[in-house]
Amino acid sequence: MPTLSEMIQFETHWGEPVMAGDAEIVPQSQALTVRWPWGGYVWHRPVGVVVRRGGEEQRLPIVDVTRVAQAALLAFGAMFTLMVLILSFQKKASAR
Amino acid sequence: MSKDFAGFEVRMAEGQEQARELVEKLFSVAEPGAVFGEPVQVGEHTVITASEVTVGMGFGSGGGFGDAPASQGDEEDGPADQAAHGGGYGSGGGGGAGGRPVAAIIAGPDGVRVEPIVDVTKLGLAALTALGGMFLALNRMRKASRG
Repeated sequence: MPTLSEMIQFETHWGEPVMAGDAEIVPQSQALTVRWPWGGYVWHRPVGVVVRRGGEEQRLPIVDVTRVAQAALLAFGAMFTLMVLILSFQKKASAR
Repeated sequence: MSKDFAGFEVRMAEGQEQARELVEKLFSVAEPGAVFGEPVQVGEHTVITASEVTVGMGFGSGGGFGDAPASQGDEEDGPADQAAHGGGYGSGGGGGAGGRPVAAIIAGPDGVRVEPIVDVTKLGLAALTALGGMFLALNRMRKASRG
């Protein structure tokens, strides 16, 4: 029976460096891997790049703007809906 | 009957082994090369795309065989008796995959920058979902205030 750590793994990967002019770009990604006896699931996303140029190193994060905006919209909608439902329940309770 | 069952078992085992190999190939998506594309030279600039990738797969099998309690299971048995020896097996599988561009890494003489890629369709759908929920909640509140 595999252990939980063998079934679920969250790892950071470094890709092959790419030369672009005088800059060396090293991509970084994160992968969530779930293994079960009869299948599996992988979620892999880019998280940033490391740029090495002229002896200096700089890390540029990759922000998934779509995911952030999507989560913000859905969270706003859920919060608003919850507040309205709470207010309507309170109104009902006070009307009784 | 036992020979047929043995051959059936071998075929089922081979099928399961092939399914396992297919699932192992799924984990190649966890390699770094799966989310970063090959660099593309555009004039003085180099563009590398970064995507989010998700893959899921599963398969299963089940079965059961057995002799009916009253039957001896010999060759002398007629077709009706042989049919009473039992049976049944099943297997199935499924999977899904998706990819979405997240950003483009652009390297040029002026430096390296990361340009996010915004999926307007997804944002539109999220906005519609949020608005729909808000509308339903407001409607319910209006009904509650009337009642």
